[in-house]
Amino acid sequence: MLLVPCPNCGPRNSADLRYGGESHARPDPATASPSEWRSYLYLRDNPAGWLRETWYCASGCRRWFALERNTATNEFRGPPLPGDKRGGAA
Amino acid sequence: MTMSRLGIQSTEVIDRATKLRFKWNGKRFSGFEGDTIASALAASGEHIFSRSMKYHRPRGILTADYWDPNLLVQVGDDPNVRAGHRLLESSMDVRSQNAWPSLHRDLKAANSLLGRFLTAGFYYKTFMRPQWLWPTYERVLATFAPGGKIDIDTPHRYHDKRYSHPDVVVAGAGPAGIEAALAASATGAQVLLVEHQHAVGGHLRFSSGDADQAALTQLQATLAASDVEVLTDSTVTGRYEDNWLGIVQRNHPIAVERLIKARAKVLVVAPGLIERPYVFEGNDRPGVITSGAARRLINLWGVKPGERAVVFSANADGDAAAADLDRAGVEIAEIVDARERRRISSTTGSSRAVDAVVVDAGLASNQRIDADLLVVAAGWTAPTSLLNMAGDRPVYDATAARFFPSDPPANVLATGGIVGDGSLDQLRSHGAATGRLAAARAAAVRHRLQAHTARALAVDGTEPAWAPDERSPLGRDAHPELYRSDTHGMVDYSEDVSSKDLVAASKEGYDSVELAKRFTTATMGPSQGKLETVNTVAAIAEARGETIAEVGTTVWRPPYAPLTLGALAGRVFEPVRVSSIHPWHEAKGVTTIQAGQWIRPDHYGDPAAEVRNVRENVGLIDVTPLGKLDLRGPDVSKLLNLLYVNKWSKLAVGKVRYGMMCAEDGVVLDDGVTGRLGEDHYMMSTTSSGAGGVWEWVENWLQTERPDWRVHVTPVTTAYASINIAGPKSRELVSRVTSGVDLDPDAFRYMEVRGATVAGVSGCFMWRIGFTGELSFELHVPAGHGLAVWEALMDAGSDLGVGPFGLEGQRIMRLEKGHFIVGQDTDGLTLAPSTGMGGLIKLDKDDFAGKPELVWAADRRLPQIVAIQPDNPNIVPDEACQIVRGDSNEILGRITSARFSPTLGRSICLGQVEPELATGGTKLTVLLTSGERISATVIDHHAHFDPAGERLRG
Amino acid sequence: MADVSKFESPVVASYPPSSGGDPTLADVSATTKWLVRADADGPTADQLGAAFGRSQVAAGGALVLGSRPGEWIVLGASVQVSMAVAGLEQPEGLDSSDFVSALDWTHGRALFRVTGHGAARMLEKVCSLDWSDPMTPDGAVVSASVAKVTCDIARNDADGAPSYLIFCDRSFGQYLFDALIDAGDEFGISVVTSTA
Repeated sequence: MLLVPCPNCGPRNSADLRYGGESHARPDPATASPSEWRSYLYLRDNPAGWLRETWYCASGCRRWFALERNTATNEFRGPPLPGDKRGGAA
Repeated sequence: MTMSRLGIQSTEVIDRATKLRFKWNGKRFSGFEGDTIASALAASGEHIFSRSMKYHRPRGILTADYWDPNLLVQVGDDPNVRAGHRLLESSMDVRSQNAWPSLHRDLKAANSLLGRFLTAGFYYKTFMRPQWLWPTYERVLATFAPGGKIDIDTPHRYHDKRYSHPDVVVAGAGPAGIEAALAASATGAQVLLVEHQHAVGGHLRFSSGDADQAALTQLQATLAASDVEVLTDSTVTGRYEDNWLGIVQRNHPIAVERLIKARAKVLVVAPGLIERPYVFEGNDRPGVITSGAARRLINLWGVKPGERAVVFSANADGDAAAADLDRAGVEIAEIVDARERRRISSTTGSSRAVDAVVVDAGLASNQRIDADLLVVAAGWTAPTSLLNMAGDRPVYDATAARFFPSDPPANVLATGGIVGDGSLDQLRSHGAATGRLAAARAAAVRHRLQAHTARALAVDGTEPAWAPDERSPLGRDAHPELYRSDTHGMVDYSEDVSSKDLVAASKEGYDSVELAKRFTTATMGPSQGKLETVNTVAAIAEARGETIAEVGTTVWRPPYAPLTLGALAGRVFEPVRVSSIHPWHEAKGVTTIQAGQWIRPDHYGDPAAEVRNVRENVGLIDVTPLGKLDLRGPDVSKLLNLLYVNKWSKLAVGKVRYGMMCAEDGVVLDDGVTGRLGEDHYMMSTTSSGAGGVWEWVENWLQTERPDWRVHVTPVTTAYASINIAGPKSRELVSRVTSGVDLDPDAFRYMEVRGATVAGVSGCFMWRIGFTGELSFELHVPAGHGLAVWEALMDAGSDLGVGPFGLEGQRIMRLEKGHFIVGQDTDGLTLAPSTGMGGLIKLDKDDFAGKPELVWAADRRLPQIVAIQPDNPNIVPDEACQIVRGDSNEILGRITSARFSPTLGRSICLGQVEPELATGGTKLTVLLTSGERISATVIDHHAHFDPAGERLRG
Repeated sequence: MADVSKFESPVVASYPPSSGGDPTLADVSATTKWLVRADADGPTADQLGAAFGRSQVAAGGALVLGSRPGEWIVLGASVQVSMAVAGLEQPEGLDSSDFVSALDWTHGRALFRVTGHGAARMLEKVCSLDWSDPMTPDGAVVSASVAKVTCDIARNDADGAPSYLIFCDRSFGQYLFDALIDAGDEFGISVVTSTA
């Protein structure tokens, strides 16, 4: 089981967290076109390589944060960013 | 071949003073404490243990250990027990598997005659078409399927589970593994040493050499005096991300098996080597055994494996086996030395026993040697499974004739025979060096974990560097490349796959080893490649005219050795939650229903009577599971505006409002009421099942989208016992126990909230809402006093006819009122306007979750939730029955809720229908589960009862 | 009939009386518990003292647990807790930017205490965290799944023996209490009466 470096708790089993996936930044609801909004809802890059993704430390500190993970090797890099939800290809 | 018990061997592990009696296929046998099932049977002269999977050929001992493919037996109700490993116990009822009607007269052996038809891929090709015969094929093939019998009435047995965080886990307790464990432990590291066999020592255990025995004794003593935690008869079954390990402990005192989930800082892989069979005609005839089998039988259990032996030896282990056989009184007919380029060509004899061995066929030295035993030492397989699971891809070395690890990650180290050859001292010192390296790297990992974990003891200084690998590597001894002789024979004994089958598969185009493996099923049986992988690769390489290195090997995946489903299930945690009033419900003989994790009262005997009592008098329902979020701060109303589709800015203190939440796709997520308890203090209620999800949803918005807003959210669902008091007499009942609240209908109106002291309990709050459509007060009591308040209400209302009602009664009443339930009457595609409450949606708000989708949906004609009454009032359609067009099967909607209404004396429903059918008075056709079609009518309002809502406002 | 003046614990089953042993399990759900929220590095955080992941005894004797960033659980006898949380929500003396809330969580959370040299081994059977001294020393505070229920756990050694306070949602109380007894069975756990 992957160890996920929670910025508050430290490395925790991935089962202790909820995977938020590579959610995109929320478009401005006042101006977003249907295709922009639905890209935010449904479209993901799913790269084999570095991906900026989000986690929620459900059993621990209950905080959302973002991380960069290599989906091919499961390495993490860079400091986790508390409160950040922006995902997508890194 | 006749096996028998020898005199006492100095190395034996049996206790001849403790005789154990057991049954084998119904007949009485005996053995000694320390025997395996197989050694006890062999000592008693048994030499056929099973029938092979496809051809049902008689099979005898091959390796005499865990991996022996021929020794799967049934013990009592326990199928597929490995008789080469499982220790004999008194009164065991052991039976052979895969033989019918008996091991000795197996009628399925007729398959042997069909052998040339049962070629590779036979099942795939033969049982493909026609598809309508698949069920028949399945039935027929099932009777031929190998394996033991599962008894579905087997009593439940306790399986245990625990977690562990050792610094170093050493997989394999041979001399190198023990030294690694000791060296790591000596540095202060916490070490777990896991050995698959019943005792530590590895190959030293069955070596009769004095130096080996002295080393074994010394290692055992040192280990016993150390701090190393030793698990025998236990297996590291898998290595996953970041050294997460599955370990199955099979000899735990309190459980049949215990699964240990270990997070090792460093894993040391030291499984030793597994002896490889040699492929030639008749290599699966009983009487052909590996050199390891001969040495184990003689030295561990004092079993003489035959009378007259040919020994085929390519290495020192073969020579040692010859010496052991000689000492045990087995006549050595010939030592066929592979290092002198001599070969075994075939065995002859009946299907049940070897009578002679043909060596060097086609050469001048060609001879046929009478013998009842052929002992084969043809080389080694490196069980690199755990290294494979860590991402390592082994590389073939033709000089040493085996695969070696190439480049495992830095937190996985290997030692012992798997990485090279050498004297015992060299293996031990490599093990010790590996242990020291493992401990040094584990210390760095521990430092990092402590430094980054908030709760951990602070650590000083910078993180230690990753210790470099400065071990002197072990050498590699030259070994003849022995895979197949000049004849064809069995490659995979478990699956009855021969070298001929692999050649055929290659000719059919299955040229990659991974494809050929799946096509022929070679390496996919119970021995899982431990014996047959390299021979499989060699056969494919030969067929393709390539080298073994070019073909490469298959990737070993978890588990290293089979494990039971019980071990995987471990102890099952199924949390359940109850309200503080639950003891009262139980005392009244409640029928409960499990809703999510909650155990809730469904009814107390007669839900229809409970409904009538609420409509006529007053009833109490325990609604504690209703989600409750305490919201505090100056920005709560902004948050509510963002989460709900409706407006919240003008909610006054003391008021309650209904709200509906959507996800960002506009689909209804949850609903409930929120009340304003104070200037900056609100209480949000959610559906019972949505409580956890809504909390996370709120946190998500606050943490990631609106981190500048000042709101604190606290889940207080179970901090309060929640009681809904419903019915025309509810105000009277509440007034009898409440102080501090003016209950006058004009002072405390529908959709208002008040703090109160109830039955002497302060800190309660109540709001005038309800799902039942009656005048009702929903009371929230600090949970530690919930039971007392409930009892006080029951007591105070006895003359009013107060009684409890359960979830079923409430469901009936809410359906009478036409209230939809999120997740029951809505689904994952139901947009907010479909609920009939589109008027709530305020598209003029700047923003709220899901707003863009609802803006775009405003122009669309969406399915609608409507109230429906079957024209025959006595028919209650099943929920999820479809609404269709006339006699066709065109689906126009479905029934989402249906009950018989005791209040109206007729069946009532909610359903989702296409927009053109949503007008009151529309006739519908409902297709019942029985296939019958009934007519039904859409009614004007969602409410079947009291559509004006006069009762609840009373 | 239940007494309205008495706090009813979520643990309602009865257990054989015991004079102790190792490990022991005590239901101390009646202990007063408050939840305080404030900026993680504001003046209230300084006043409470306990950093995230650590605990501290407040003046007056209440135990303050740094349960989450910007969240503290304050527990003890009700007078101790009152002293510790008094004035927290008053803006006087505090940076006005510090947004503070405090609520009585006594009824919301069940609380158990597991004590003994076998307690860590027992917890290993129900929780995936590392309970070794370096990773979870005395004074450590952490949240984790225990027997599949999310709990706050504080190590708070008593009389030289490791001791752990375990909080869960009140409604899971009976389930979790029984799960802990089940986990402690092989170590000879006994149920004792105690205060937090």
